[in-house]
Amino acid sequence: MLESPWLIGALWIGLALLASMISIRIAISVALIEIIVGAVASNLIPCAGSLAGVQAGLVTTPWIDFLAGFGSILLTFLAGAEIEPETLQKHWKPALTIGFMSFVMPFLGAAAPAYWLLHWSVQASLIAGTALSTTSVAVVYTVMLETGLNRKDIGKLILASCFVTDLGTVLALGVMFAHYNWWLVLFLGVSAVILPFAPRLTHRFLRHYEGQVSEPEIKLLLLMLFILGGLAIKANSEAVLPAYILGLVVAGELRHHRETVYHIRVAVFALLTPFYFLKAGALISASAIAQGALVIILLLLVKVAAKFVGVYPTAKIFRMDSRVSMYTTLLMSTGLTFGTISAMFGLSRNLIDSSQYSTLVVVVIASAVVPTLIAQKWFQPHPAILEENSNGT
Amino acid sequence: MAHNKILHGLDGSTGSFKALEEAIELAIQYGAELHTVSVEEVPHYPGTVGEVIEAKQAANGKFGQAMQQAREMAKARGLDLHCHVFTGHEVKTIVEFVKEKSFDLLVVGFMGHSALYDRVMGSTCHSLVRLAPCSVLVVK
Repeated sequence: MLESPWLIGALWIGLALLASMISIRIAISVALIEIIVGAVASNLIPCAGSLAGVQAGLVTTPWIDFLAGFGSILLTFLAGAEIEPETLQKHWKPALTIGFMSFVMPFLGAAAPAYWLLHWSVQASLIAGTALSTTSVAVVYTVMLETGLNRKDIGKLILASCFVTDLGTVLALGVMFAHYNWWLVLFLGVSAVILPFAPRLTHRFLRHYEGQVSEPEIKLLLLMLFILGGLAIKANSEAVLPAYILGLVVAGELRHHRETVYHIRVAVFALLTPFYFLKAGALISASAIAQGALVIILLLLVKVAAKFVGVYPTAKIFRMDSRVSMYTTLLMSTGLTFGTISAMFGLSRNLIDSSQYSTLVVVVIASAVVPTLIAQKWFQPHPAILEENSNGT
Repeated sequence: MAHNKILHGLDGSTGSFKALEEAIELAIQYGAELHTVSVEEVPHYPGTVGEVIEAKQAANGKFGQAMQQAREMAKARGLDLHCHVFTGHEVKTIVEFVKEKSFDLLVVGFMGHSALYDRVMGSTCHSLVRLAPCSVLVVK
């Protein structure tokens, strides 16, 4: 029914506005609410349309797909840029080990039953493994803030481990399905030139141009993202891989320029990520969820169990006590953004079908909520109030 | 009933400042210590760390101003005010703080949500009255 890009845009932005209002009202992340609103709208609008005798739906168009894809790349870049390099340097050994185990065990643990038990294709099983291997740094960070653990070494170690897990996810997406051809060689060659110089170049731009209304420093970052992302896609790799790595390498520079990061965030959250998360929700099929309820429960249990096998013993090896180890394990079982990015990567390349996508995204959403609730209810290592700050900062 | 330690829930709203006036009166009357607690509620299950940082910064700004105003109100009545800020769930955090610091009176402002909202989401005041281990004064 809607053919004008302006009216299609109005519908999508209207839904994004609704999601923002709900999110603020109930203090649940706007990303999660956008996914839910997208899912509800895409499943309800056609029903409402058929009742009214008109053909209607939450359609995606090439420009919506582009904005959504751009949003996911910038989200990944910001995720990489949020790390504290000193923390990773200080805790690199346990962070690398815990983060790697937190990636590899669920990856194998989810891919195996998807292949042998659910009889998904090899490629679909690999996507399932990748989507369910993720850890939500943002969910973990929130819990850290609420418990005050973000200021303690143990909290910083857990966060650094989460970044390593996410790196595993983007590496898997970037490497597993790439075509090993000259485009890949070119992508690796250009990355080898740009990435080592990115921090210095960014530093110079920030020093000379920060505060200018035309934001040349942000355009420089976008230019690097577009070049590397474009070459990655040409090699059938994934643009989120260079985006995350670029974020990591310029993180040290950007943390001294919070205003620039703020400007990027404003643009991303206002204009791009609503399209990404609404689209992630809009592609969920309600009937597929209803039919695959048992599979969803199975995969959620598999994800948490595999994280347990991978993280708990490793945490114990690094002398965390049982309660903290369990808490760390449950927090590292959470997932949201990178899980949906992995599932959408699979769907957009026809590696998984719509019902497999719906199953994976629902498992990812459930994994953001269920392990967090269990961790906070039964395994919180300190009383809820650990840190207080009497000056409001 | 005497009150030695009074806690006031400060969220920067008109209702909470009205409750603060009442709390100051009671603190003077009983010679009690007066504390305020503000809880920054960051979004649950966020998609990005940035989302949390933005929400926390916005809350910091709001509570910073509110605490300054509250301190001035208390100072004008010759009272020392102890302000505390936490991040977390509003009701859970306040209840645990009351328990931990053994407050004997909690003073909060009435938050006028719609009846539907209160029915669906639950009212903060109602939850505090139900869960706090001390007397609760809700000021309207």
